[in-house]
Amino acid sequence: MSLDAIPIHLIPPGEPGLTGNAPPLLHELLEMVNRLLASGETAAIDLSALPLTPADLDWLRERLGEGEIAVTLLANGESTLAETGCPGIWWVTHHNEQGVVTSQFLEVAFVPELVKAHPDDVALGRDHLESMMADL
Amino acid sequence: MQGPLIDTLARRGVTRRTFLKYCATLASMMALPPSVGRAMAEAMAAAKRPSVIWLPFQECTGCTESITRSHSPTIEGMIFDMVSLDYQETLMAAAGHQAEEARHAAMKENHGKYLLIVDGSIPLGIDGAYSCIGGRSNLDILKEAAEGAAAIVAMGSCASFGGIPKANPNPTGAVSVSDIVKDKPIVNIPGCPPIPVVMTGVLAHYLTFGSLPELDAQGRPKAFFGETIHDRCYRRPFYDQGKFAKTFDDEGARQGWCLFELGCKGPVTHNACATVKWNGGTSWPVESGHGCIGCSEPDFWDGGGFYKALSVPADPLKIGAAAAVAGAAAGVAVSFANRAKKKAAKAAHETTTLDDLEK
Amino acid sequence: MNELQFLTWVRGPGLDIAVGIFLLGVLWRLIEIYSLGRKKDLAAPRHAAGASGLHTVFRRSLPPQGMLKRSPVSYIGGYIFHIGLAIVVFGFAPHILLIKNLTGLSWPALPSQFVDMVAVVTMAAMVVVLVDRINKPVKRFLSTFEDWFTWAVTFLPVLTGWMAVQHLLLPYTTMLALHILSVEILLVVLPFTKLFHAFTLFGSRWYNGRINARRGVPV
Ligand code: HEM
Ligand code: HEM
Ligand code: SF4
Ligand code: SF4
Repeated sequence: MSLDAIPIHLIPPGEPGLTGNAPPLLHELLEMVNRLLASGETAAIDLSALPLTPADLDWLRERLGEGEIAVTLLANGESTLAETGCPGIWWVTHHNEQGVVTSQFLEVAFVPELVKAHPDDVALGRDHLESMMADL
Repeated sequence: MQGPLIDTLARRGVTRRTFLKYCATLASMMALPPSVGRAMAEAMAAAKRPSVIWLPFQECTGCTESITRSHSPTIEGMIFDMVSLDYQETLMAAAGHQAEEARHAAMKENHGKYLLIVDGSIPLGIDGAYSCIGGRSNLDILKEAAEGAAAIVAMGSCASFGGIPKANPNPTGAVSVSDIVKDKPIVNIPGCPPIPVVMTGVLAHYLTFGSLPELDAQGRPKAFFGETIHDRCYRRPFYDQGKFAKTFDDEGARQGWCLFELGCKGPVTHNACATVKWNGGTSWPVESGHGCIGCSEPDFWDGGGFYKALSVPADPLKIGAAAAVAGAAAGVAVSFANRAKKKAAKAAHETTTLDDLEK
Repeated sequence: MNELQFLTWVRGPGLDIAVGIFLLGVLWRLIEIYSLGRKKDLAAPRHAAGASGLHTVFRRSLPPQGMLKRSPVSYIGGYIFHIGLAIVVFGFAPHILLIKNLTGLSWPALPSQFVDMVAVVTMAAMVVVLVDRINKPVKRFLSTFEDWFTWAVTFLPVLTGWMAVQHLLLPYTTMLALHILSVEILLVVLPFTKLFHAFTLFGSRWYNGRINARRGVPV
């Protein structure tokens, strides 16, 4: 007998709705965007650390909308850094290799930290370029 | 070998972005603000590999398996490789006297600075003869190694609380690390086995801040052991509605109802299984249909049975019947005494006074 | 002793001892009271409407004319907290599980949120009854140590159970162990104090009604 023959009905424990925890985040984001414009200071909100239900997250995503640019990072599982409808606010989702969401952030920055190349890495790249050119 | 961590990581093909991403997630799991994730990455990238000595005592190697055996080379595993593991019997190539020498050399060279990891309990019975390495008792080796350690990590329930070896009747006289070492900072990472990310979280914290994370009354990192399994369990709504699986394959079990009646110890167990999960986030014990057995709590083995609900007697009630018989006998005896008294009072024509009635 | 060992003790040997003393005490006192006996009433029985044991059981469960107005707290507060105790003890899933384990009997549980609310109402009613006992000079005059003691012994299990569920003050494990310990104290104390009224109350009402009915007096 295959395992599939055993009927298992998953009933989600009463689809939790909106908790009311999402709207205050918009105020926090506004504050962060103001600071970014005034002083260039970046900031982030850790979404996985807050008591947000899937419905809350959907609500937030719908409010913030979709922007024009999305970056996909392939490092130890996929990560997406998508600009929202409000430029400067990025929705960052990290997955592990199994595709499970490991953490989620709202980042307020002109460019998310992860996208920028580190000077040390740029220096390594230059060395590589130089040695490549020397071989030509 | 002694360069900054990020170079070692790079040699193993871990890019800076992978590392940044990992630190962001780790900080999130430890309930630290996002800015700390970045600080953590910077500090760890630049950190020198700390010397680590890992002493296995009365143990089953399950803890080592938990940390080092992952299906893919996870960063957890790599960070772990990143420390300079100067002594670990199971993993090191050296053996015998060579291994002992390596330990002594590391202890001398890094005196006062190395991190000591212990898994397994320490048997005190018959002068510690139940578990010896190179002819020396565990107690002896622990005391010697603890003396020069900056901090001690007790890995797993055995090192933290005595674990299974200490289970009733504790034939070897097993005790925990904190029962013996009193003058060093000790962090307990209980679990049978412990969750790998807790280990790396503690290491990351140590590398970033040079100190151990905040601990609870049992010496466990609050970030991972601050809440009970029950408080974070996705089956909790069923508990609150009073919907319980009665057997492991009844209708309730199939509907994913609460496992309280099947003996789940989630309400009294502090661990991160419900949020961090096991096997790369695949699942965790309650999700797979079995109650929590409370493996990260002291003396979980003697908690009155894994399949007994928390509110039912831990042992069968033994004196109930005997007490009932004794009670009945006492009642009969007292009634005879009362009747005799009444008869005597009647014979003596005693009168009833107001005092008698107020008694 | 750590908190889990404490919990295991109250669930194990502690419960064993408490249930043992409870059974011993209940049987002892019931047999003692029953065997006190009475001289046979040789007079011819009289009859009067509304005079019987059963009548008295019901009649005394309701306030006599005018009494509800004179001491509303004793009646209303008393009813509320007794019904509340019954709901919490017999309607809450973990409690039913214990009863099932001890006796084999079980029934469906009430939702935890409802039991939680009832626990709060029960405690409120008990506090009001206590305040009334302190405030009314006659009640205070009649009160002995036993009255204060039994109030506390009844109140503590409800308080600790509720605090455990709400995660108040102490870690859950410790609070749950204290809850069970407080119940064990209640079990030990019950047969030997006025709390034994749980067993004797209806019996004594019936008895009084019956005796007086024979004399033709409805009481
Ligand atoms: C030995 C007997 C008893 C045991 C083993 C026991 C066990 C428990 C357990 C395990 C809980 C907590 C469940 C949870 O965390 O959701 C609880 C809650 C509670 N218990 Fe008991 N109990 C006993 C007797 C009693 C008695 C006699 C009373 C009342 C006089 C009582 C009153 C309560 C109350 C009020 C709660 C909290 C209910 C709520 O707020 O939801 N318990 N009990
Ligand atoms: C069939 C069960 C029960 C009945 C019919 C009953 C009935 C009564 C009655 C009529 C009174 C008022 C008498 C007086 O004021 O002295 C009373 C008081 C009291 N009962 Fe019960 N009872 C029952 C069970 C219990 C149980 C199981 C407990 C404890 C767990 C309890 C705790 C108390 C307390 C503490 C008082 C005193 C209240 C005060 O301070 O005024 N009762 N009960
Ligand atoms: S399965 Fe266990 S941890 Fe989950 S709600 Fe039920 S009792 Fe609590
Ligand atoms: S669910 Fe409970 S018993 Fe299982 S690993 Fe987690 S803490 Fe240990």
